[in-house]
Amino acid sequence: MKQLPRRRPLTTLVAALGLSAAVALPAYAEIRIGLNVPLTGFAAVDGKSALEGAKLAVAQANAAGGVHGEKLELVIYDDQAAPKEAVPIATKLVAKDEVVGAVSGSYSGPTRAAAGIFQRAKVPYVVAYAVHPEITLAGDYMFRVASMGEVQGRAGARLVADLGKKKVGLITVKSDFGQALAAGFKEAAPKFGLDIVGEYEYALQDRQFGAVVSTIKAAKPEIIYASGYYFTAGPLVAQLRAAGVTAPIIGQEGYDSEKFIEIAGDAAEGTLVTTSLDRDSESPATKVFLADYRKATGAGADMVAASTYAATRVLIEGLEKSGGKGGEALKSAIAAGTFDTPIGRLSFNDLHEVRKDIQVQVVRDKTFRRHSVISDPVLLAPPGRPAS
Amino acid sequence: MDYEISLLTTMSISVLFALSLNLITGFCGQISLGHATFLGIGAYVTALLGKAGLPFLATLPLSMLLAGAIGAVVGLASLRVRADFLAVTTMGVGFLFVGIIRQQDWLGGELGISGIGGSGLSKTGFMLLALLSTAAVAALCLYIRASWMGRVFNGVAEDEDTMRVLGIDVPRYKLAAFAIGTALAGLAGALYAHHLQFIGPDSFGFVESVTVLSMVVVGGIGSVPGVVIAAALLSALPAWFQFIGDYKLLVYGGLLFLMMRFSPGGMAGLMSRFFNPVQTSAKGER
Amino acid sequence: MLALELVAQGLVQGSIYALIALGLTLVYGLLRILHVAHAALFTLGAYVGVMVYNATGNLPLAFALAMVVAGLAGVATFRLAYQPILSQPPFVALIASIGLYIAAEETFRVVFGASGLSFATPPLQGQVALFGGIQFKTAELMVMLGTALIIAALGWLQTRTRVGVACQATVSDPQMAESFGISLRKVRDINFFVGSALAGFAGVWVALLNNLVEPTMGSVPSYKALAIIVLGGLGSVRGTLAAALVLGVVEAFGTIYLGKLLDRNAIAFAFLILVLMLRPQGLFATR
Repeated sequence: MKQLPRRRPLTTLVAALGLSAAVALPAYAEIRIGLNVPLTGFAAVDGKSALEGAKLAVAQANAAGGVHGEKLELVIYDDQAAPKEAVPIATKLVAKDEVVGAVSGSYSGPTRAAAGIFQRAKVPYVVAYAVHPEITLAGDYMFRVASMGEVQGRAGARLVADLGKKKVGLITVKSDFGQALAAGFKEAAPKFGLDIVGEYEYALQDRQFGAVVSTIKAAKPEIIYASGYYFTAGPLVAQLRAAGVTAPIIGQEGYDSEKFIEIAGDAAEGTLVTTSLDRDSESPATKVFLADYRKATGAGADMVAASTYAATRVLIEGLEKSGGKGGEALKSAIAAGTFDTPIGRLSFNDLHEVRKDIQVQVVRDKTFRRHSVISDPVLLAPPGRPAS
Repeated sequence: MDYEISLLTTMSISVLFALSLNLITGFCGQISLGHATFLGIGAYVTALLGKAGLPFLATLPLSMLLAGAIGAVVGLASLRVRADFLAVTTMGVGFLFVGIIRQQDWLGGELGISGIGGSGLSKTGFMLLALLSTAAVAALCLYIRASWMGRVFNGVAEDEDTMRVLGIDVPRYKLAAFAIGTALAGLAGALYAHHLQFIGPDSFGFVESVTVLSMVVVGGIGSVPGVVIAAALLSALPAWFQFIGDYKLLVYGGLLFLMMRFSPGGMAGLMSRFFNPVQTSAKGER
Repeated sequence: MLALELVAQGLVQGSIYALIALGLTLVYGLLRILHVAHAALFTLGAYVGVMVYNATGNLPLAFALAMVVAGLAGVATFRLAYQPILSQPPFVALIASIGLYIAAEETFRVVFGASGLSFATPPLQGQVALFGGIQFKTAELMVMLGTALIIAALGWLQTRTRVGVACQATVSDPQMAESFGISLRKVRDINFFVGSALAGFAGVWVALLNNLVEPTMGSVPSYKALAIIVLGGLGSVRGTLAAALVLGVVEAFGTIYLGKLLDRNAIAFAFLILVLMLRPQGLFATR
């Protein structure tokens, strides 16, 4: 908004009137896409990133002429990251707004609650970063562009082995994401001969980790695998370093925010993160996204923004193939497609879980840089649809 | 229509839940900051039993039974501690409940329980069931209020010690209030689980307990029509407030505050002031 | 050795709890209000502290302004929010307070952004080793010292100055105090100012320890401080202090040895329920 040229009041008034008239018109020539995001409450930071990511994808598509000549409209609702709020929202998107497809830019709880409603209405629902395993089990109209927690956990174990370390200290956040990561990590640990020397859990609200830090220090691990979100990970990493713990620290998607580096400060240097966004990628999809996102918002993109952008892109590309139709046609188009997105080249398995590489980023000079890429289709294979 | 049906079901369950707390806090004067625990117990019982193959309607009484039984145990605490001590104890029960659920894999742990369903009813049918249950509970509340038990509750709320002097078995009535109120919360929880088809520990935490208490207080503590209106409005507010976007919770919190600041008797107080304009609210300091 | 470190970490956490809960106790002792919005003043103090330090680089100034702003906001809260509803039953004030807290939390988010603020160059991050090897961050050590100092100062004020004695008299018998010519209004203002300033002081310490202030940082203190003042026997300053430190240590050991069974909140509240069932008047009630 800041870049807008100054206009005379009259012109602005005319423009505003024109705009409101446009809104008042029936939107017959538009294809509607739904988005549920947490814009208020504790998850508002991620909600904001998700919203910007989705808006960018739609704006780019509209600037390029829309889908088969029809403009896309993003219908946005705030779910406060609460399952209770997500149910009426999903119902409204399906019944009132008649969206052809929807994107979840929200957490596991609300996404899981909304999934059943979209499934019953046969509206494809592309999930950006919610990791709850049962979301895709809700049915065949569900798609997820994020690697499941277990998959990321296995990637973490592989990374430890790649770094030549054996003795691991495990710190787990008490959330569905943390539990899934820990499960995946522990499942793969014996395969790589890893030895877990200490295991601790903390609550999402915790910011003071004195007790955990003292204990992990006494356990003397060679490397620390700590799950969390930037707001817990920032203080945790800073407190580990301040207590003189020098072992490398591996985090995951939840760390992937510039805010993490800001909070942890110098202590963030060298932290490894298994994530989905590679800032040093040569892929045009990623480069365009990173540049356009910065232009649109004035801030650097994070994992949530990239994932929600990718989820929205998947839906839009699906619509292009289905000729703007929703339902069965859109579902089949997405299921069969391969998508070049800022979080890599995506395709879906029979459960509609994503197949993609895991990016390892490292914090260097206060930014995320590429460390390595874990490309191991066998280890990183998402679970398939259970025979029922 | 689907949207209206879904919203009406949500509102109806909220009203039922608020009425159940009103029985304990409004009628009997026992403040609870952990009422969501019983919503949770009802929800988990029906979800687990449903998964085990029990028909939906058969799980309802069992949800109520377990919620009421645990409610009576928590009620025992009200015999030991009073007023603000009780408020904080019940709050503690709420945190303990969520803390336990989180770590129990057989209860779904952090992941919660998904794919609850199979009430066997259509959406409209389920809405009617929720509305009927709520109407029945509202009628029950009005009946209790007018009965001997209701009068004793009122006496306990007003002045517990005098009731003891009068030879009333106060503990028995307090326990009864807790047992009935929490059992009804269990019923609300069972409906909640089948409506959302997904439950997790975060749905039954402190925030939910505070939300239901504010419904009761905003409605007008003890007033059945007031609580019904307040719970219906407050539960639909987030959906209606979508248009104010970013300021939604700010407005919600602000309204809660302004209501208490300017109409401490809640909606019931507002209504009675509207109908009896002569009577002004009491002023002055405690 | 580990046990000692855990005790030390528990005391650091306990000191923060103590600062927040003390303000709450002062308010409760006087007005019998469960003042949930107290935690919003803690957040406010933290924001002021970080912004002032980032602008000036002067830490004492940051502390002073945080305390003054939080203190004044506390007095305003009392005058505008609580005073008019003091005659109402206690839940009215409780819900008003909860509404105020939600509105405040959202105001912080709308005004300062959801992702919170950090120090550009956080001060007091150095390391100190004490008692043969227990490591502290400078800020951790300072928070314990600061808490001890401020509590000693408060104790001195309360028993040795006119204002302090007047406050105490008002807590034990408001009517009597008023008949002796003590202005209730003034005493309440002072109590709110001091209690809220303490919350603001705690807010800056937490900002220093975590290098993060966020809109929701008050949500845990909002209820945990209630638990602490109840544990300490509601309205007792000494009881609150002891309860805060005990709870800090219980949580430190609990998160390590019971972490797989219960989370930190559940451990704290299990302890609270246990204590209340055995001693309904609180752990350290004097009355």
